[in-house]
Amino acid sequence: MTPATLPLWRRRLFGTPATGIVTLLLGLLLAWIAIPIIRWALVDATWMGSTREDCQAGGACWVFIRARFGQFMYGLYPVEERWRADLAGIAFVLGIAGVVFAPARLRLKAAIAMLVVLPPLGIWLLSGGFGLRHVETREWGGLMLTLFISVYASLIAIPLGILLALGRQSELRIVRLISVLFIEFWRGVPIIAVIFLASLLLPLILPGGIGIDRLARAVIGLGLVIAAYMAEAVRGGLQALPPGQREAATALGLTYWKATGLVILPQALRISLPAMTNEFIALVKNTTLVLVVSILDLLGIAQASLADPNWVGMNMEAYVFSGSIYWLICFALSRWSRHLETLGRRMHR
Amino acid sequence: MTRAFALLNDKRVRDWLYQIALVLGLLALTVFFVRNASENMVKAGIASGFDFLWRNSGIDVPFVLTGYTRADNILSLFWTGVANTMLVTVVAIVLATLLGFVVGIARLSSHWLLSTVAGAYIEFVRNIPLLFFVLFWYFGVIAALPGPRDSLGIFGVAFLNNRGLTIPLPDAPANFRIAAFVILASWAAQWLAVRWARRRKERSGQDAPVLAIGVLLILVVPALAITWASLATRWDIPVLRGFNYRGGFVVIPEFVALLAALVTYTAGFIAEIVRGGIQAVPHGQTEAASALGLRPRRILTLVTIPQALRVMIPPLTNQYLNVLKNSSFGAAIAYPDVVSLFMGSALNNTGQAIEIIAMTLAVYLVIGLAVSAFMNWYNARIALVTR
Repeated sequence: MTPATLPLWRRRLFGTPATGIVTLLLGLLLAWIAIPIIRWALVDATWMGSTREDCQAGGACWVFIRARFGQFMYGLYPVEERWRADLAGIAFVLGIAGVVFAPARLRLKAAIAMLVVLPPLGIWLLSGGFGLRHVETREWGGLMLTLFISVYASLIAIPLGILLALGRQSELRIVRLISVLFIEFWRGVPIIAVIFLASLLLPLILPGGIGIDRLARAVIGLGLVIAAYMAEAVRGGLQALPPGQREAATALGLTYWKATGLVILPQALRISLPAMTNEFIALVKNTTLVLVVSILDLLGIAQASLADPNWVGMNMEAYVFSGSIYWLICFALSRWSRHLETLGRRMHR
Repeated sequence: MTRAFALLNDKRVRDWLYQIALVLGLLALTVFFVRNASENMVKAGIASGFDFLWRNSGIDVPFVLTGYTRADNILSLFWTGVANTMLVTVVAIVLATLLGFVVGIARLSSHWLLSTVAGAYIEFVRNIPLLFFVLFWYFGVIAALPGPRDSLGIFGVAFLNNRGLTIPLPDAPANFRIAAFVILASWAAQWLAVRWARRRKERSGQDAPVLAIGVLLILVVPALAITWASLATRWDIPVLRGFNYRGGFVVIPEFVALLAALVTYTAGFIAEIVRGGIQAVPHGQTEAASALGLRPRRILTLVTIPQALRVMIPPLTNQYLNVLKNSSFGAAIAYPDVVSLFMGSALNNTGQAIEIIAMTLAVYLVIGLAVSAFMNWYNARIALVTR
C-alpha cells in the first residue's frame, strides 16, 4: 500500500518509520502525563458534598470549589450586595454592545456617552453611597476585582497611551522628548516594583490629609505602566499610515487635532487594535500582581483560601480552577486579536 | 499689540508657546509633588538623603552569593539583592532559550502530533499569568515534594526535596578559575580564527574548516577544561545526616520555583519568536540556494539561519529584558531579589521610600539601557546593507 492511499491520520502519524517512532514516544510521554491528571481531575474526583470529609475518593475535591465559588467570584463582598457587582458587569456588557451595534453615525456619540456614564456608575454600584450601602474596597475581590482592575486601568492606559504615541510622533521636539522619556521609563521597570511604588509614593506626594484608596493606587500604577505599552502598540498603527494622509488632511485646512481625530486615529487605531488587545491580555495577567500589596484578586483569593484550616491541602484544586479562568479569558481575547489581524490583512488587500 | 497677535499666526511661534506651556505645567506639577513629599516626610520624621545606606542592616538573607551577613550595611544588602536578581535572570535566560528553541522548532515540525503538542504548550503558557506559575511551582509542586529523608536523588550527588535543591560544591575553586581562564582564551582564539578565515577567504577564495575549529574551540576545549577541573577537585557531596543534608550548597526552594516558572513561561514566548523568525525567511531563498547547488546543511547554515536570526534577535532581546523584569515576581514568594530585599525589607526597616525606590528602579533602567545600546549597535552591524 502506498502512503498516499492510507487514511489521513495514519499517514500523519505513521507515514514513515521515523514518524512512527516519534509518534510512539510522544504518545507514551503524553499518556504518562495526561492519564494521572485525568484520573485525578475527573475519574477519582468528588463533585458532590459540602465539607472536606465528603472527599474520600483520593482525586480532586471539587466540593472545595463549590463551597467557595462565591468567594472566588466576589471575594469578601457582602453576599446580600453581590447583585450590585452583577449589575455593574451587565451594564458594562450592554454598554459595549450598544456601542458596537449602534448605527455608524451614532457610534462615536454612543461611545463618548458610555465613557462618561459607565465608569462612575460602576464605581457607585460597587462602592456604594447615595442610597446604597458602602462597601470598603478591602472587601472586594475575586474575579470581579480582576475585571474591575483590568477595565479601570485600561481606562487610564488607553487615552494616555494614545496621547503618548501621538507625542512620540509629534514634530514638536520637547513633546517628543517628554513622551519618549515617559514611555521608556515605565517600560523599563518591573510592574511589581511599580505597584509597590504607587502604593508607597502616591500617599507621599499628595497633600497631607488626602487619603487615596489602596485599590485606586494599584489601578493608577498599573494604568501608567500599561499606558506606556499601549503607546508602543498605537505607534505601530501610526507608523503604518503613509505620511500622505496627514499631509492631505493639512492641505485641506484641517487643524492638527481635527486631522488627528478625523483622519489619522480612525485608521491607525484599526491597525493597532490587535496589538492593543495583546496589551490588554498582558494587563489581565498582570492584575495578579496586586497580590503583593495584599489586594485579593482571583489568584489572590485562591492563594488566601489555602490558609483555611477546614480545607487543608486544596492547593491543586484552587490553582487549577483559578488558572483555567485566566486561561479562558486570555485565550478568548488572543483568538479575537488574531481574528482582527486576519480581518485587517484581508481589508488591505 | 497687533504685532504680538501677528506673531501668533506664525506656526513656529505657536509651537514654542505650546511646548513652553507644557514644560511649565510639568514643572509646576513636580514642584507640587516634591513640596508635598517633603512636608509629609517632615511630619513622619524621615530625613531624606542616602546616609542610611551605611547603617547596619540587621536583615537576615537566606540565600547569599556575596558573603553578606546581617552585620553588614544596607548598601551591601542592596548588592546582595542585585546579585540574586542577576543569578536567577541569567540562569533562566539560558534554560528558557534552550527550551524555547526546542519547542519552537517542534512547532514547525512536519510531524503532526509533535507540532500540535508544541502548539498546545505555547497556547497554554502564554495565556496564564506568570505569577500563577510562580505560586503553582512554589506552593503546588515544591511544597508537595517529599521531605529530605525521601529526596529525589539526581545521579546520587544532588538532592531535590521540599527544602530546596542541595548540590555538591567544589572544595577548592582554584582549578575552576584556571578552567574559566582556559575557556575564555579558547573563545578568544575562536574569534581570531573566524577573522583569519574570513580574511583568507576574501584574499584567496578558499574555505577554512571554520565549523570544525569552532566546535573544537567553543565546545570541546571548554568541556575538557570543566571535566579536568571537576575531576581534579575534591567535591563536598551532600550527605543525609539526621533530618537534613549536610555539606554541599543549598539552592533555596524559592529559587527553584521562580526559575522553573520563568523558564516554562518564557520558553512559550521564545518558541513563538523562533517559529516567526524561521517562517519569515521566504521559501524562495531556500529554493534559490538549492538551485545554486548548495547542500541542505549549507542552506541551513548559510541562508536560513543568518536571515532568521536577523528577524529573531530584536524580539529575543525584548524577552530577555522581560526575564530580568519578571525575576521580580520572586517577591511574591520571598525570593531575596533586589525588589523583595531592598524595596521590601530595607524599606520597612528604614522608611526611606523615595531613595530606595529610585535605587531599585535604577538597577532595571541601567541594565535595560545598557542592553538596548548593545542591541542597537549589534543590529546596525548585522543589518542588511542596501543601496
